[in-house]
Amino acid sequence: MTSKPNVTRLYSSFVSGSDATVSLVEVSISPGIPTFSVIGLCDSSIRESEGRLRSAFKSTGFTMPKGHITVAISPAYMRKTGSGFDLAMAMGILFASGQLYLPSGAKIYAEGELSLSGELKATPGSCIRLKTVRGMDFDYKIIPESEVSSAGIAGFTGQGINHLSELNSVFDGNDYQETVFGFDKKGTTDDFLDISLLKGQEKTKRALLISAAGFHNILLLGSPGSGKTMAGKILSGLLPPLGPEELSDVYSLSELIEGDDTDLSFDRPVRVIGPNISVSKLLGNAQSVTPGELALANKGILFADELPLYKTEVLDFLRNPLEERKVHMTRRGVTYSFDSNFIFLGTGNPCKCGLLYEKGTKCRCTVNEINRYLSKLNGPFMERIDIFSEMRSISGDDMASIYIDEAEGESLRYRETVERCWQNAFSRYGDHYLNGNFPDTDIRDAMRIPESVVRFASELSEKGFFSARGFTRVLRVARTIADIKDSDDVSEEDVSEATQFRKRGV
Amino acid sequence: MEFTENTNSDFFYSAMMLNTDINYKTLNDLTMHKAMSNYRDMHNIELLKEIVKGNFDLKPDTVHKVKKLIDSFSDVEKIAKRYKQTAVTKGIEVMSCLDRAYPYNWKHISGMPKVFYYSGNYNIVERMTLGGSVAVVGSRSPSRYAEYATEQICKTLVDKGIAVVSGMAYGIDRKAHMTSVSTAGGTVAVLAGGVDNIYPPKNKDIYELIRSNGLIISEMPPGQQPLRQYFPSRNRLIAGLSDCTLVMEAGAVSGTLHTASFAASQGKEVFVLPNNIYYENALGGLKLLEDGGNVLLSAESVIDSVARSLMYKRMDMGCPAELYYQDQIKDEFGGEPDIDALRELSKIKPEALTDDNWKALIKDSLTLKPMCADELCVLTMLPFYKVSKLLTELELNGTVCQEKGKYSLTFV
Repeated sequence: MTSKPNVTRLYSSFVSGSDATVSLVEVSISPGIPTFSVIGLCDSSIRESEGRLRSAFKSTGFTMPKGHITVAISPAYMRKTGSGFDLAMAMGILFASGQLYLPSGAKIYAEGELSLSGELKATPGSCIRLKTVRGMDFDYKIIPESEVSSAGIAGFTGQGINHLSELNSVFDGNDYQETVFGFDKKGTTDDFLDISLLKGQEKTKRALLISAAGFHNILLLGSPGSGKTMAGKILSGLLPPLGPEELSDVYSLSELIEGDDTDLSFDRPVRVIGPNISVSKLLGNAQSVTPGELALANKGILFADELPLYKTEVLDFLRNPLEERKVHMTRRGVTYSFDSNFIFLGTGNPCKCGLLYEKGTKCRCTVNEINRYLSKLNGPFMERIDIFSEMRSISGDDMASIYIDEAEGESLRYRETVERCWQNAFSRYGDHYLNGNFPDTDIRDAMRIPESVVRFASELSEKGFFSARGFTRVLRVARTIADIKDSDDVSEEDVSEATQFRKRGV
Repeated sequence: MEFTENTNSDFFYSAMMLNTDINYKTLNDLTMHKAMSNYRDMHNIELLKEIVKGNFDLKPDTVHKVKKLIDSFSDVEKIAKRYKQTAVTKGIEVMSCLDRAYPYNWKHISGMPKVFYYSGNYNIVERMTLGGSVAVVGSRSPSRYAEYATEQICKTLVDKGIAVVSGMAYGIDRKAHMTSVSTAGGTVAVLAGGVDNIYPPKNKDIYELIRSNGLIISEMPPGQQPLRQYFPSRNRLIAGLSDCTLVMEAGAVSGTLHTASFAASQGKEVFVLPNNIYYENALGGLKLLEDGGNVLLSAESVIDSVARSLMYKRMDMGCPAELYYQDQIKDEFGGEPDIDALRELSKIKPEALTDDNWKALIKDSLTLKPMCADELCVLTMLPFYKVSKLLTELELNGTVCQEKGKYSLTFV
């Protein structure tokens, strides 16, 4: 052994925000009293890796070399978290100490956490990391076997291994095989409720269809037991499945939060939140830059149950993401953004007793009480809701026919309409925009609304059907209604219908 | 015209009803016990003999009457032949309740004639089914005011294609016919005597006019004199044939009041022209107003009422189908269309109704109680997008307003 420090270099990566950064892991072993130090703004989960490495080496038949061991992870100015550097560090030490043969000039990428027995484990954020790495030029790419479904979704190629001992065959036996990972294509789960369950609630059915067809935010207020919660599950059944690219976006975020036991399916995400949700759960944790429910609902549905009971503070924080369709987080002067492009589905009771919309006059709430109950939903928040519908309890006859008549598959027919509308919107806007989330520029031309129709809408607005801010919302909804009819231009009829979906005072 | 065996039976039926003891009760008894399938079987002497044998569980009175009919069968047939002779020479035609062209309005009221006679342009009846008809009745010696109002209102109505039905008497009847004959709506005169019997004789001028441009109807066979007791029954037919009744002027004791009460009992609206309370010849009409008749302020309210009744008629199966689809059906079935098939066809044809019809229906439903959009969808059988569009329009013109998620009429 010479006195010259023996340095090996490998690559690994870590997640910050919704992106990953590739980092260089350098290991040097120099003679002296045995020490182990990790440098480069690493958090304790990385610094604790000495214990895991030492034990894993021992169980696999390797030995921890004697001497000063220094591991430097760059870029050194960025804070890093996660135990995914274990494999890169272990391989660096094994190469440097000559226990593994390092092919000369080889560029190696490795990630994964080691257990004490030398098994390799996946770490959260794998999909984001592998997406970043997939296009880069490495000679060897080694990941834990349990990350292969992430790799499949990310389009990453490399080799998955289960145990540290397999490294022998990869490097000494030169048995490296670059595989294209597949993933279990479960397709869609069909775990939705059919829209025929809403029999007799024609307005709500129509509202859900329009909402899905144009990606419009929707608010349903109705009596207890009228099927509001059901509406959330029905809406997810109306949306077309995720595309492959969308799947990787959605999966990578949920994998970051939930680890490798995330359900993998083409269904659009449905995130259910309740009145007790905290702002940080909603927006995400700025300290660790982990996404919240808003980001996780991206490309799917954010389902807010019992909306009138929410804290005002929470509703205020919801306003900006609903408008901008993005969530921002700032940590130490760096802003991280997550897409939050979802359908907001809010439900709740219309008044304290909940019977306001029932047939007859069952509700005894005064106008003041009702206004107070819904006060949080008035004003700026409602401006961001495109569609409003009332719900009332299902009558006995309808209930019977729901459970007796087999009307399965109505949702699938609705979904065909929705898919056609999405295609119309994509071909019109040329980008992945839908009527509900198209930017607030000159929508009149982009949405092909004739001048006469705009004038008709402004007449309605003057007569008090909706506010000036609700104006563009009505036009957007009218555009979707025209899409459902497959017509090129928006007509007055469409605006008339869209008007019925505005919420007006009690 | 060609007379078939069926028309011979129709003539026989008329002769039998006028000249023998056989009445509606007897016929009902016979059909109820399935002794015969319809009134035409009475012309079948073999069948009558079969009935007398007592194979059916008939009332003794019925059997007795049938026996008497068999005895006088040849006499009745002679009379029927005479009717037929008159009809052929005078160009009078027969219509039976078994025919498809039988007036729609009569089909739905019991006690309407099984056989009636007409002369003139029968197309008016078919047009009435979808275009509407109004009975205009009143005093034989009206005030200038009532006569003027009759003329003005009839003009507006016939311009809208609504037919005017009346009794060809002096006064209001005459004015109504004069105003409406040879117009878009057309006119129908229902006589108490036979179609060839001009009563009152002085109205010969308008009789000729109506014969060539309008339609003359009577339940009495040709040649029959208009007897006093026939007039109330005639008034019933006038009310039955029309969608609503206008009483222009009626004294305290007047046949016009019969027409009005028939109309009311048939569920039709009665409009009464308001008049001076010190004018005795109008007291009957004013009493009708007191009893809840509609005030005839303008022709518009009449048109609304007719439109409503037309819409219900169209929603009721059968009627529009028979007119709209009969050609299409004829090809499919070959020959006479099957009424049931027609009804089936017409069931889901709400597109024949215009938006205004639907709006009227929505308004009508909302007079009962405030309703939500879902209930209106069920009621009108329209999809939500259609209902919502109509509701916005109704809201826009201020007819309907929304409160607590339910719609109600702005002015009740």
